[in-house]
Parts: sequence; C-alpha cells; structure tokens
Amino acid sequence: MNIIVCIKQVVAGDRVKLDPRTYSLVRSAEFSYINPFDLYALDMAVQLKKEYSGSITAVTMGPKISEEVLWEALAFGADRAVLLSDPRFTASDTLATSYVLGMGIRKIGKFDLILCGVRTTDGDTGQVGPQLAEELDLPHISGVEKVEREKELFRVERISDGFREVLEVSAPALFTISPKGAVRIPSLIEIQDAFTKYSIECWNLEDLNADPTKVGTSGSGTWVEGLTPIAEEKSCVYIEGDPRQQARILLEKLIEKSLLS
Amino acid sequence: MDLTLSIQQKQIRRMVRQFAKAELAPIAKEIDEEGRFPWEVVEKMGPLNLFGMQAPRQYGGAQLESISYCLVIEEISRVCASMGLMLAVHNSVVVYPISQFGNDEQKAKFLPPLASGDKIGAFCLTEPNAGSDAMAIESTAIRDGDSYIVNANKIFVTNGGVADTLILFVSVDPEDVKKGFSAILVERGTPGFEVGLLENNCGMRANPVTSIILTDCRVPKANLLGREGEGFNIAMAALDIGRIGIAAQAVGIAQAALDASLKYAKERIQFRVPLARHQAIQMMLADMGTMVEAARLLTLKAAHVRDQGGELSGPSAMAKLFAGRTASKVASMGVQIHGGYGYSKDYPIERYFRDARATEIYEGTNEIQQIVIARELLKGGED
Repeated sequence: MNIIVCIKQVVAGDRVKLDPRTYSLVRSAEFSYINPFDLYALDMAVQLKKEYSGSITAVTMGPKISEEVLWEALAFGADRAVLLSDPRFTASDTLATSYVLGMGIRKIGKFDLILCGVRTTDGDTGQVGPQLAEELDLPHISGVEKVEREKELFRVERISDGFREVLEVSAPALFTISPKGAVRIPSLIEIQDAFTKYSIECWNLEDLNADPTKVGTSGSGTWVEGLTPIAEEKSCVYIEGDPRQQARILLEKLIEKSLLS
Repeated sequence: MDLTLSIQQKQIRRMVRQFAKAELAPIAKEIDEEGRFPWEVVEKMGPLNLFGMQAPRQYGGAQLESISYCLVIEEISRVCASMGLMLAVHNSVVVYPISQFGNDEQKAKFLPPLASGDKIGAFCLTEPNAGSDAMAIESTAIRDGDSYIVNANKIFVTNGGVADTLILFVSVDPEDVKKGFSAILVERGTPGFEVGLLENNCGMRANPVTSIILTDCRVPKANLLGREGEGFNIAMAALDIGRIGIAAQAVGIAQAALDASLKYAKERIQFRVPLARHQAIQMMLADMGTMVEAARLLTLKAAHVRDQGGELSGPSAMAKLFAGRTASKVASMGVQIHGGYGYSKDYPIERYFRDARATEIYEGTNEIQQIVIARELLKGGED
C-alpha cells in the first residue's frame, strides 16, 4: 500500500510571533517542529505499512527550513520525503496550500491513501485535509481512528457525536487521523539512519507545473484583514467556610459555569 | 568555526527532551524521595538506544558522535539527574572502555546486552582507602589456572545496586600495585559477588549507589580487559571520556535550575511586582544564564575535541571542573531566588541543589581536575 502523509512545520505555541504587516507567522528553526497532530497520521501510516507493506512518502509545503520536519518523518518511518518550496507559495491560505499539495501529489504518482493530521496547532483551521481531497477529487473521512484494507475498499472507524461509525470507502482516499494515545518516539538509530539513507527532494512551482495564479496570495480565497491580541483576564476567588462548605460552594460554581454537570 | 547544531543533532535533542518530559518528569520528584530506581522507565530507554549511544553498530549501538551524546545526557539530566548519571556511567565508563580495549570475543559477549539495555554497567575504582589516589587500591586478582581469584571491596559504585556487568580495578600483583594495576570484567551472580549496602546520599538518590564486595570470586582469565598492568591507562582513558558526560550532566542540572528560577521569578510577586522585575534578581539570572552557556560550550568543545581525535585530558577536565562548579553555583543561586520556598521540598530547586553537588566530586573531584589541567598547561610549549 502506497501512502502519502501530509505534514507541516509549526512554531512552538509559546514562541509564536506574527509579522505586524502581513499577520503571517514568523518562523524560526530553533522553535519549530512537526505539527503534533501530523504525528498521528505518520504513526497510522507506519502501522499500515507494517501490516500491508508498501511505502510512505511524506510531503510538506514551506520554506527551506521546513525540511526539518521531513527528516523527522523519515526517522519516524517514511521512505521518501518531498519538500514543496518556492517563494511564490508564501502566504498561501488553505485553498492555495491544498492546490500546491495536490500538484505535488500528482507528481509523486500512484498512491492508495493520503493521510493528514486533523488540524494544526498554529493555523488550527482543519481545512487542508478536506480541501486537498476536493482538489484531487478523492473521497475523504475525517477524524479516523482505525483503518483496514479490504481489496479495493478501506473500512474505517471514527468517533462522531458519541457514536462509533464504521464506514467503507473506495481507494484511493484521504483520511485525517484522530489524535489518540501516545505517539511512538523514534530511536537514535532510526534518526541516524534517516540522515544516512535518505535525501529530501525539493520541488518548486515549475517542477510542479503549477499555475502561478493559484498559489500564494493570488491563489488564496481568504486573507487576514486584521488581528488583535486578546488579553485574557484572570481573577482569583477565595472561597470561605469550613472544608465541607468550601467544597459545596466550589461544586455550585463549577456547575454554574457548565464545567461539571 | 560552526557553533550551530546540525538538523540531526537538534532532532536527537528533541527526541530525548520529549522522552524525558513524558516519562521522567512525572516521577523525578517521587523517585528522589523514595530512593527508587525506576525500572518501568529504564526499560523504555533500551529500545531508544540510550544504553548503546556510542557503541559500534555491529554490537547494537547507535555509534553517535560525542556532541549528540552530550545533548542526550544534558536533556535527561535536566529532568532527572539520577538517570542522567546512570546513563553517563553506563555509556562512557563501561561501554566505551569495553569497545576500546576489549578483544573481539569480549566485545561480542559483553557489548550487545549492554547496548540494548538488557544489562546495566558499573565502574568500580573507589575503595575505602583509595579514591583520588587510585594507585592505593587494595583489591587483588590472583592468577589460578585459567581464572583469577578476585578479592575486592569497592565503594560508592554508581549503578551498583542494579549493575550486571562491572569493570573492576584490581592489582594482579599485590606486591607492586602500579605494575599489577588491571581492569577485569565481572558479572553479577558470580559466586563470591555481593552487592553491599545502599549509600544514603544527599543527592542522585534514584541511582542505587552501593558498595560491591568480592570474596574469593573466581573470574575467567578471558575477562581481563586489555593486558595485565594496563588497568590504570584504561581507567584514565575511560575517565577522560566519562568527564565529558558528567560535564553534560552538570549542564543539564544547571539548565534545570535556571529554568525553574526563571519560572519562579515571573510568578512570585514581591513589592507588588514579579521578582523578575527586581534588578537584583535580574542580575542573578543574567549571571546564571551566562554560566550555563559557558559550561555548555566548554562541554561541547571537549566533545568536539574527542571526535576530532585530539588530546582530551585537558579539555574534558576543564569542561567537568567548570560545569560542575556552574551546576552547584547556579543551583545555589536558584535556591536564593526561591527564598524560603527554595529550601522546601515543594519546589524542585532543592533537588537540583543536592544533585549538582555530586558533579564536583565523582569521576574526579574538582581538585583532581585542577591537577590534570595544570599538568596539561605546564607541559605545553609556547605558541
């Protein structure tokens, strides 16, 4: 089974800085890493490869420094890594990103399955997976927890509104993978082997044969009009009384705020 | 000169940081208080190759370069110094000398289980009457056919309570210790082998530091590491390497003390503003940060010298001396910033303070490092 996993480099939550003019993220290699949600997609790909054999190709769009996450994917178990990088891709929204990823995946060639994280910790839209499926005209299922291959079909499970859904879909398809449990940590040998065995393929706009009007700001259907930081106000409430009274008052307050039912 | 880490080194650091945060951070306080060796986490370190970091690939090791090795020890020690110590000793003064001085049979027999973490190593040099003065050892190994009969009383053995494979320094010639100084590999369970009492140390409490006693213990001649009389060189070569690991450990403790102090200084309000707004505290933090960075650079420099095959004694002694002092000083300043809470077990800074102190003592005290450094400086010619 040939699997493509789409990953993204994100900036650590407490290190996020925005360009005051464009409102886009200022990236720094030191505090950037693979989007934690994408690790679940990679983990699922590794499990599927173990079970059904085949290959895993990791693909990301971003500036040169985002190749770091591809090395991480290779250590994790990917066999091939593709970086889609071109200054003209800068400031792409989710639509333009999905287009670039789609063009990259067309160039990668034949595949059975595309896996994505459910969302990223920075943009947090959760749109790229579904939009990529539309771009490639593939069926997609979001928030998948379990995948089985049955001939030309995938049988998948996902939790939705308190129900466990079992769905069948024809291959090729795209799934976003629900974050569940702890993700495996690669060993020192796996990390070293990634660097000695593999290299990163880097493709630009021309390599993808992509339409320049569909990428970057010109290809984006949305743009950030304004951005204002929200100051969160915290207050401290002292609950008086003996422990029993304090516990009762605390309980009432939690129920009042819908934190307990 | 390039002072940036490679992508690979950063990835290794991130991997270990993630592991330490997930597995060691939740138990570090508890295992220190209970003096408990956390087998449940130690078992997870083997599959990540943390027990065979620099061992050759053919024996199951990761064959890491020394900068990455330091990053791993620093990150583990930053969260739990006792486990940083366990790994540093296992990798640098047990696995390394076997890789370097062992013959093919010894490497094939001892390295795979050590590199996988199925067995844990220990280094036994110190005795009741021998420490910095290594030549004063009284342990003996007397030839008897194809064996040695070993009698030894080793103390302050790091990993002693859990070690399976131990490098023991003995004399094969009780009349002339200098001539007979030898290294011999001993396995736990050999008749006559006994683990002594657990030391009640002030820091590094999750590491089972014990004495090791051998009474008429028959050890195969095949377990002699190197040649008879070569033990002192083996011990010194291992300690040159080991000191880089202890320096990295000290950097990890110092970084933890700095992290805790920065956090506390932002949280604690005094005179209506956070501590961090007071210039007196800022100056302490500035000095702490500078010392930690300097210690890290000296440590990585020593690691670099090792990988370049340069003369290691001076750089590794300097790294250990400076990093050990830095850990103690920075942790002490951290206690000061925390005030009364710094003296309480409610905050981790007191653990860093206790743990840091050991790095100025084991694998060569500060004073031994100074002797090594002075000797290296004085033998050098003018540029």
